[in-house]
Amino acid sequence: MSWTDNRAGRLISGLAPLLLPYLVLFCGGVMLTICQSFGVFTPLPHAGAALDAYAKILTDPAFFSSFGFSLGVAMASAFCAMAAGTFLAYQVWQLPAKLATAALIYKIPLILPHISVAFVVLVFWSPSGIVASIAHYLGIIQSMHAFPNILYSGWGLGMVLAYTLKGTPFAMLLVLALLVRFDVRQIQTAAMLGASGVRIFFFIVLPRMAPAMHTSFIILFLYGFGSFDIPFVLGESRPGMLSIHVYNLYFKHDLARRPEAMAILTMMFFFAVIFIIAYAKIVQRLENGVRKL
Amino acid sequence: MKHYFILLLVVLFFAVPAGVLVLISLAPGWRFPDVWPGAFSFSGIAFFLQQKEQIFSSLASSFVFSLLTVGVTFFMCLLPAAVFARNDFTGKAVLEGLLLTPALVPPMTFAMGLHFFFIKLSLADTLPGVVIILAIFSYPYMFRALVAGFQTMGEHYRICARNLGAGPFAILWQVELPLLMPAVVAGGSVVFLVAFSEYFLVFLMGGGRVASFTGLLMPLLSSSNRSLAAALTLIFLLLPVGLFFILDLSLMRSYRKKGMA
Repeated sequence: MSWTDNRAGRLISGLAPLLLPYLVLFCGGVMLTICQSFGVFTPLPHAGAALDAYAKILTDPAFFSSFGFSLGVAMASAFCAMAAGTFLAYQVWQLPAKLATAALIYKIPLILPHISVAFVVLVFWSPSGIVASIAHYLGIIQSMHAFPNILYSGWGLGMVLAYTLKGTPFAMLLVLALLVRFDVRQIQTAAMLGASGVRIFFFIVLPRMAPAMHTSFIILFLYGFGSFDIPFVLGESRPGMLSIHVYNLYFKHDLARRPEAMAILTMMFFFAVIFIIAYAKIVQRLENGVRKL
Repeated sequence: MKHYFILLLVVLFFAVPAGVLVLISLAPGWRFPDVWPGAFSFSGIAFFLQQKEQIFSSLASSFVFSLLTVGVTFFMCLLPAAVFARNDFTGKAVLEGLLLTPALVPPMTFAMGLHFFFIKLSLADTLPGVVIILAIFSYPYMFRALVAGFQTMGEHYRICARNLGAGPFAILWQVELPLLMPAVVAGGSVVFLVAFSEYFLVFLMGGGRVASFTGLLMPLLSSSNRSLAAALTLIFLLLPVGLFFILDLSLMRSYRKKGMA
């Protein structure tokens, strides 16, 4: 056996504990989802053509509005969380040591499960919630009916609030991890040369934090796009998030509609994969145009 | 001045919600339009104590499957992470990207496909089924942490130990694992949190048979007993914080004992 074969064999056997579960359970799971979307391996024998489920979904306007809605909620919440997280991370990083320790409480929503964060949003923003009470106390509204319907406005604002609250500390964590290695002298030099705080933030700090911002955006966007927990607590019925749509098809309708649920999941999977690849490509292209320090 | 403003902002966003949960758990009758609870009572807590067996058992169940998930992901990732940190090979970046996808794509997309398969294998509605699905979803966090851990450790300790005559097992157990502990704790904490706070995957694979804290909490969130839901949410907060605190302390202590810190 040649040296290269030996090395390849060693690499593969070393990676096997991870590769095997990855291939069997993750890739296998996705394959089973795809198969079931074609009506293969479904609990009920599938009558009809392989692409029936897709034909049915792609002619259903409710699917597209649900897809667009999921996309919008995920975009808005990922962007808000990334922007707020980056800003707060930069500010917290500049705090003196004692205050920075106190600022560690930013990790609280990181520990809370999604459903609890959704509960917090419910407590604060429902028409009888704390924000409404404060508005009433300040005389802004006269009764709870006067409070704007934030949670069920049809725009998914409640979900955006919950995802943002949960995602901001996450983005902060990633950005702070990069900032730890950031050289303060760059900021000092810029300040000495007369740059304003805003200019320093946008032209010196931001480009260096970009990798963490991109990572947090991708993760938060995809999470918001396909997760179930928060929409299950805060969701609105029409248009609903895709995950809730799938859940209803899977658990609440009869087994014959299983391929439809799986077809939506298949499309969600490929959308996620394409999004990751496209995002990485765009970022790469953008970064090639940026002058490296 | 500006510093205090920033701190105030952080407190307002992230600590006030937790504070409000404490108030709600102590003031079941707190309703619109009161800005501050009119009366405090322990009736919510009393109800909580009545249910303590159910709460305790679901908490224990969540704890067990989360710890098992941490253990499984650790054993899955240890050797591959070492291989990744120490070798360069063609396609490494692509493979790394692929191996991280389970944490990125919506977990529904593979979990629901597997569900039918797990039913056939009688893995659905069992603890192992729940642990497996959680491990597949959360191992990337452990993997990233371990690869980084191996990279910071470098190869010198291993080579040195080998030159002194240590076998592979002794190197792993006596030299590498103690040095890797911070990375294991970092990765393990994230995996634990992900597993502990997941609702959907546990609901899907556990089918209600595997009790979980999130499963107990979910119906309460929209019920009228907000103070019980708030109290349970607080447990959610305190338990991991306590766990990480103890873990950090014991890690520091063991390092001091060995003269490493």
